[in-house]
Amino acid sequence: MNLISGIDITAGALNAQKTRLDIVAQNIANAHTTRTANGGPYQRQVVSFESALLRQAGIDGPARQTVRIGSIVPDRAAGQQVYNPQHPDANAEGLVSMPNVNLSYEMVDLITASRAYEANLAVAKNARSMAMKALEIGK
Amino acid sequence: MSPVGPINPFAVSPLARTDAPLPAVGLHSTGAPGIPNGEGFGKVLDSLVSSVTEKQAAAQAMTRKVLLGETDQLHQSVIARQEASVSFALMVEVRNKLVESYQELIRMSV
Repeated sequence: MNLISGIDITAGALNAQKTRLDIVAQNIANAHTTRTANGGPYQRQVVSFESALLRQAGIDGPARQTVRIGSIVPDRAAGQQVYNPQHPDANAEGLVSMPNVNLSYEMVDLITASRAYEANLAVAKNARSMAMKALEIGK
Repeated sequence: MSPVGPINPFAVSPLARTDAPLPAVGLHSTGAPGIPNGEGFGKVLDSLVSSVTEKQAAAQAMTRKVLLGETDQLHQSVIARQEASVSFALMVEVRNKLVESYQELIRMSV
């Protein structure tokens, strides 16, 4: 029994946007990480979404699709080379390879994820108030 | 043969005739599917209350998981709470309707 229509679709979207926010947080946190377990500087992670079938088409209407995280892949772009001979990770020429994280990109991603989350919350809120309005029919 | 014969109340036991078929017909035709017989009101309310309790228990379990740090699905817990709240409102609405129709029946002049 699902009283609030479409709430499970919205829940999937909220989860996806939250994961995206987590990845943005990870990118910003590692904006200056020059050493990782794989060796080399941190590489910016990019999130992509994919649609997921939630319900088959049937008596109760057409098929419903929610969204989920499709993949989280590293951005292969090269990072900056910074001359800093004092740095522990500097090479023989005194150059340090910095992560390819660009703070402006991350901020834009952050705002997009936050706004998308808000939009889905608005859907959830409205779905609930629609259900409550339907209950007021008998009053 | 007297024409009065068939409607003679003593020819067939009136008790047997009114007792046997009537309750069966009455209960089977008015009882909704899934409600066996007798205490229809109680059964309806019982199934409603238990489904609402189920939802509330699910919401509670979800909130508990979030608070214990087992999951970070904060929105899932809030959504589960909202679902429980809506189904509670539905239960109250159905109860109101049931009581209303019961009182309507009680007020019926015989």
